[in-house]
Amino acid sequence: MQNEPILSWKVAGLLLGLVLITATALVKPVGVSTQYVVANAVVLHSAAPNLAESNEYLAKYGEKNDWGIGYGWMFVVGMFLGGGLSAFITKRVRQRETPALPPMWKAQFGASSPRRMMHAFIGGALLLFGSRLAGGCTSGHMMSGISQLTIGSFVFGISIFVSGIITAHMLYKKRTAS
Amino acid sequence: MTLLILGLILGMAFGAILQLGGASSYHKIVGTLLLKDMAVIKLILMGIAIATIGIYALDLVDMANMSIKPTYVVGIAVAGLIFGVGFAVAGYCPGTCIVAAAEGKTDAVVTIAGGLAGTLIYSLVYPAMKGLIGITNYGEVTIPSALGVTGLWVAIPFSAVLFLLVFKVLKDRYE
Repeated sequence: MQNEPILSWKVAGLLLGLVLITATALVKPVGVSTQYVVANAVVLHSAAPNLAESNEYLAKYGEKNDWGIGYGWMFVVGMFLGGGLSAFITKRVRQRETPALPPMWKAQFGASSPRRMMHAFIGGALLLFGSRLAGGCTSGHMMSGISQLTIGSFVFGISIFVSGIITAHMLYKKRTAS
Repeated sequence: MTLLILGLILGMAFGAILQLGGASSYHKIVGTLLLKDMAVIKLILMGIAIATIGIYALDLVDMANMSIKPTYVVGIAVAGLIFGVGFAVAGYCPGTCIVAAAEGKTDAVVTIAGGLAGTLIYSLVYPAMKGLIGITNYGEVTIPSALGVTGLWVAIPFSAVLFLLVFKVLKDRYE
């Protein structure tokens, strides 16, 4: 397989566990999806202040001059920088023939970047709609929630894999030669 | 200020681990969902196994800053079903698309944009969703709190099961 991970799952898993413990010891359990609300609130508070302030959900995340940009936001900025840095050092930046097309997707759906962008956008919208309804994503619910033995996080973990496994099998029903 | 720097450093470690472990890769994620490639799920379960013991050990000496999310079974189950479709279609999750974007994968940038749109849609329909959050809501409940036992006594056997899963049960299945 091309581009196999640099770290084995054992080493990466061990390090992941240590980061989750450190974050919980020093600040709080990790989470990502809330920052999408923060980003939306920041943009809307300047672009459409009336909408932002009248919206019950966004209002929870934003006050004038204090839009909730804090620890959690810096964590996500750090993810981008840390992921980018390790990819750069290990020469994994821009490895694809076409930047938008995962080779596996291309083999199944053809070499259309716009079509892949459509999948990526709709997928992203469903991911965050689901995350906000659940109150967390793979990080906040699955990793942090299950490691705190939260019952709802087990429900989330099972539900995303049932649905993800069924959807992936439907998308890749007609297998092209791999 | 210290808190912001701490966030940045922890985030960098988290992002680098996801990238180095292959979690920001479309074919690793979709390979997982096609039940062919177990690397990413093993990475996550291994991380959870270690974190569960660590967090509940810290909790024993009152040093864990835990944050328990409310359990509303129906709402979370529905949310997970929606999330799962997005997971398979995008091939990323809300965190890994940020890391993948840093790797120069432009479809991941579009997934972030889609995520912002999905968040906005959720904000707009939030009043209608409150019913779903209200029913079968058991509040901030964990397995130890439901059983009324010290967390570590659940954490140790739970992590043991996860270790068994990752080392003995889950296997890659390439044809």
